[in-house]
Amino acid sequence: MTVPTETVSLDQLVDWLARFRTLVTANQEYLTELDSAIGDADHGANMARGMNAVAEKLATPDAVDSLFKTVGMTLVSSVGGASGPLYGTFFLRIGTSAGPVTTLDAGALSAGLRAGLAGVVARGKAEPGDKTMVDAMAPALDALDAGLAAGEDLASATEAAFTAAQAGRDDTEDLVARKGRASYLGERSAGHIDPGATSTVYLFEALAGALGGLQE
Amino acid sequence: MIGIVVVSHSPALAEAAVALALEMAGATPPPIAVAAGAGDGVTGTDAVRVAAAIDEVASPDGVLVFMDLGSAVLSASMALEFVESTTEVRLSGAPFVEGVVAGVVLAAAGASLDEADREASGAMIAKNAQLEPAGVAGAATSDGPGPSANAADVTLVNPLGLHARPAAAVVAALAEVDADVTVSAGERSVSAKSLMGLMSLGAGAGTVLHVEASGPDAATAVETLRLMAENGFGEMEG
Repeated sequence: MTVPTETVSLDQLVDWLARFRTLVTANQEYLTELDSAIGDADHGANMARGMNAVAEKLATPDAVDSLFKTVGMTLVSSVGGASGPLYGTFFLRIGTSAGPVTTLDAGALSAGLRAGLAGVVARGKAEPGDKTMVDAMAPALDALDAGLAAGEDLASATEAAFTAAQAGRDDTEDLVARKGRASYLGERSAGHIDPGATSTVYLFEALAGALGGLQE
Repeated sequence: MIGIVVVSHSPALAEAAVALALEMAGATPPPIAVAAGAGDGVTGTDAVRVAAAIDEVASPDGVLVFMDLGSAVLSASMALEFVESTTEVRLSGAPFVEGVVAGVVLAAAGASLDEADREASGAMIAKNAQLEPAGVAGAATSDGPGPSANAADVTLVNPLGLHARPAAAVVAALAEVDADVTVSAGERSVSAKSLMGLMSLGAGAGTVLHVEASGPDAATAVETLRLMAENGFGEMEG
């Protein structure tokens, strides 16, 4: 088994965020449609507004921690809904985990994402199965780590993460929401895909794309 | 005096809740900061704004934060990471309107962070008790002081009875009085130092309240309440 020696550059991280913004804005209507079924119909607009604000501040980051601190704080101040503090915490924790470096190796990337997930869980108090973004993010990170442990390169491992995120998102359809606005609906929240899990799929689709995966 | 922060998705909602509370807070309201809305005119909450609001009203006595719903709670908890002040900050689980009113009134009366939070958080108990049939309500009932206590029966003469503003005035007047004071209307008894408790009595004009007090300042407490009621809590015309 080989230890991957690839590294992720600042440019690739910025590309990840740019791709995430593209996916979120392209699917803004869809996210809002999902959110109108079980939430307050603002997830698409909120995420698009947040990532558009992020895009304006990404000029030339000098380190991974300052990059993600900027991203996190911008989301916190521009999103408005619950996804602001949740995605904001996710990116802030990645930055804290990574520190003032200019590249991440696979292990550091995984550790950063894990710290991000832990931050989301601590902030939102959601557990797997609560019909939230955690239901896409947790399996995605498990798949990423499994791929890296099996010696896959970052392109393959992040593709696997994307695939696992999609499966996790699809599984939210049957779940009864136990967190967030959708939880007010109780049993009536079942039968709808969770919008937060859906935007999390875009996060991993963007990551795989930025790290060389998803090539036709 | 503790500081109050009001976190809402809607600036209009926050400002209105604060205005309502200030009507009852007397001449020396606590420092209050609103953190409502996000971005430019966006309905929502912003953790950075919440942190700035906390810092704005921070004093050594602490800051009590009231939130409406959903992301307001997430933003407020995240704001604790950004706060520069080192004073104690408490996120109250109180319902929004009741919490803001109780928090502002209690803060104005010099209550500690613990007292104000406890009172605000008990607001739903008082409200539910008020909606239950007389005599069933248990949560707001206390055993009251012993038989040797000072006591008096006072009649509410002002047209609106013991509504929010007079109740707040009673709480403020008794805040520094060293006595346990119980007010009873019919079969229900509440602490005279509890804003939500007093309001939950639903005591209208003509109601006879039984006041009992114990402790070093018991006589003062009973006399204070008697005089306030006799003067219609300053609400009599002419």
